[in-house]
Amino acid sequence: MKSKNILLLKTLLLSTSLSNISKYSTDKKKKGRSIAGFVGMFILFAMLILYSAMGCIGLGVTGYISIVPTICAVTVSSIAFIFTFFKTNGYLFNFKEYDMLMALPFKVKDIAMCRFFYMYVKSLPWYAVVSLTMMVCYGIFSGSAFWIYPVWICLALFIPIIPMLIASFIGFLIAKVSSGFEKKNTIQTVLTLIFVMFCFSLSYIIEAVAKNNSGVDIAVAFDEFNKKANAYYFPAALFSKAVTLVGECKIAGLLYAVLFVAVSVLLLMAVFTIVGKNYRKINSALKSHVARKDYKLSGQKKKSVLNTLAYKEFRRFMGSTNYCVNVGAGVVMALIAGIAVLIVGFDKVVYVITKGAPIPTDVLHPAIPLFVYFLVGMLSSVASSPSLEGKNYWILQSLPLEKKTIYQGKMLFNMYLTVPAVVFGILCFCISAKVSLINAVLYLILGLVLCAFSTTFGCVCGIKFMRLDWENEIEVIKQGAAVCSYMFTNMFLTMGLMVLVVWLGTVTNANIVTICLILAECILTSMCYTLVLKLTK
Amino acid sequence: MGQNVVLDIKHYSKSYGASKKAANDINLTVESGDIYGFIGHNGAGKSTTIRAVVGVLDFDEGEILIDGHSVKDEPLECKKLTAYIPDNPDLYENLTGIQYLNFIADVFEIDEEKRQTLIKKYADMFEITDSLGDLISSYSHGMKQKVAIISALIHEPKLMVLDEPFVGLDPKASFTLKQIMHDMCENGAAVFFSTHVLDVAEKLCNKIAIIKKGEIIETGTMEELTQGQSLESVFLEVEDEK
Repeated sequence: MKSKNILLLKTLLLSTSLSNISKYSTDKKKKGRSIAGFVGMFILFAMLILYSAMGCIGLGVTGYISIVPTICAVTVSSIAFIFTFFKTNGYLFNFKEYDMLMALPFKVKDIAMCRFFYMYVKSLPWYAVVSLTMMVCYGIFSGSAFWIYPVWICLALFIPIIPMLIASFIGFLIAKVSSGFEKKNTIQTVLTLIFVMFCFSLSYIIEAVAKNNSGVDIAVAFDEFNKKANAYYFPAALFSKAVTLVGECKIAGLLYAVLFVAVSVLLLMAVFTIVGKNYRKINSALKSHVARKDYKLSGQKKKSVLNTLAYKEFRRFMGSTNYCVNVGAGVVMALIAGIAVLIVGFDKVVYVITKGAPIPTDVLHPAIPLFVYFLVGMLSSVASSPSLEGKNYWILQSLPLEKKTIYQGKMLFNMYLTVPAVVFGILCFCISAKVSLINAVLYLILGLVLCAFSTTFGCVCGIKFMRLDWENEIEVIKQGAAVCSYMFTNMFLTMGLMVLVVWLGTVTNANIVTICLILAECILTSMCYTLVLKLTK
Repeated sequence: MGQNVVLDIKHYSKSYGASKKAANDINLTVESGDIYGFIGHNGAGKSTTIRAVVGVLDFDEGEILIDGHSVKDEPLECKKLTAYIPDNPDLYENLTGIQYLNFIADVFEIDEEKRQTLIKKYADMFEITDSLGDLISSYSHGMKQKVAIISALIHEPKLMVLDEPFVGLDPKASFTLKQIMHDMCENGAAVFFSTHVLDVAEKLCNKIAIIKKGEIIETGTMEELTQGQSLESVFLEVEDEK
């Protein structure tokens, strides 16, 4: 990279670094938030290390350590692909300081590449933590030569590059197609959602295709995974061969390592030659809005204050591809799951989700509302919407509204968004599973209470970790403290409850368990709502 | 006053979608020493034209030349000669003022001694020196505007392009900016800026272009255009006529 590009990259990193804020900010709240950010990051790092180490130790103890390099390449690549895909349309395109950067003497291709490297450097620590933990475990259990460590460390820097390039290129294609339409934002959102759904279903399709030998022993399954991963994803094969052969002190390992690096660099150059050529055109189109100037003022409808605020949230939601895809993906997935279960049947869906585990399907009935909610409530719009106000927060602040009303409006929008999807999903599952009427009613009530919980808990997180000074909305939609704290807490809570209701349903009356759960959720929701009122006083 | 052509816009057109023309066959020439005002209603196409001039916006037809270099074919050469101050400067909020100015100075490869002198000179003129160590996020709109102006001036551009530069500036800073514009033009540079403040344009500019619905409807020297009338009355007259 040229020195000017390094300067730009350094500045981009500095401009979003927590250290710069804690060093220069005189705002104690801001400083505190950046320190809390550091602490949160280290907790997540520790969790990742623990999770990766436990998985590898398990493989080491059971004698399957040889598969670790492939697992490492596939895991890091999958995470890198998903995270980059969601971020591309905020970091690569449509970013705030586009005008300022484009007016400076940088090559268009270099600006695009710097934005890519910015994404790469920001996320590298996460990938490195997974990869290096696996390296240490592999080194210990396989008893490989010392040289495996420097080679693995070097290659760890390159593992995320290829999946990130693929994700960026898909994001680029979506942006390019969308930029040709008048309703660019809508097209971009729809195409992104379609691709997300395709990715989710692809994993099940691959598994279904590969699972013609269900019931075989674990050794064959691992061997099968290894072969398939190496066959379908060649970077995994290159990485695996490189570290394995270096570990055996074979020079061929280094050749594979060099080949891996060369492929990554060549692909980088190729992708950014194409992206660079279209970059300004796409950004010009995405940032330009057609003013039709043919509006005729006709009868205007009056809405209640809360509905007006909820409608404002809806417009914000529809106006941002990142926001819409992140929050809306779960809703769309619940709708698709509902339709799918009606078409293919409850038993088959359970088979796919449980990966063929021998569980009687009626035992799983109490988990229906929790499963549907798991999809719908994955992210709550209220967790990110307070921060998304950003510099426009003054508009709401200057209006003659109580603070709590503003947040009630935001919560109302989340209810409008989640309740229909939850009701539809639960009804479809109940019909397909032939659940009794009384059970279906209980599941619907539980579903509604869960929506209320998601809304109020999301609002608590949104207010507690509100951040208005973001540079790019992705920072508060995808990786903000509010969203992370909501997402992880809600995810673990829902998963835990799913296991609990299924287990309790086998030892006692499942309906009583559901009623108890409804009551418990009601109490939790009331507590969260009270906290919202307290926080907005 | 003017001799060398610094900015030459030839038959520039820009469309949004298939039907809407934001700019249609625009021709403009800014010479060294010119303070060229670009006026028109909201949505007339001022910012679209300005963003195309500074290489931010792609355009469909025509040619834009800066000191003889094509914005399309030699964008780097053009950008090295140009400074751009947008109407709402989106700077890196989590950098301090001085960090941002150093970033710009590094991009334009300004040596340490010169940047020190120029930053001090302009920061003192805009009375912002004491705040340069603070994060930009703590600045008011006017202070951000001042930092954007200083960053535009420290590489001594041949052409300064400004979009509504006086919005948010305090009276003293507005006066300072006008003074700097005059000084720049006396030294052979040129200024091209959009404004809604017709009084300022009348006192400051030697040339004016009026744009309406993406087309230039009047252009010329201030004397040719006003002919003893005020710029405001001329503007309202031609806006109503055409």
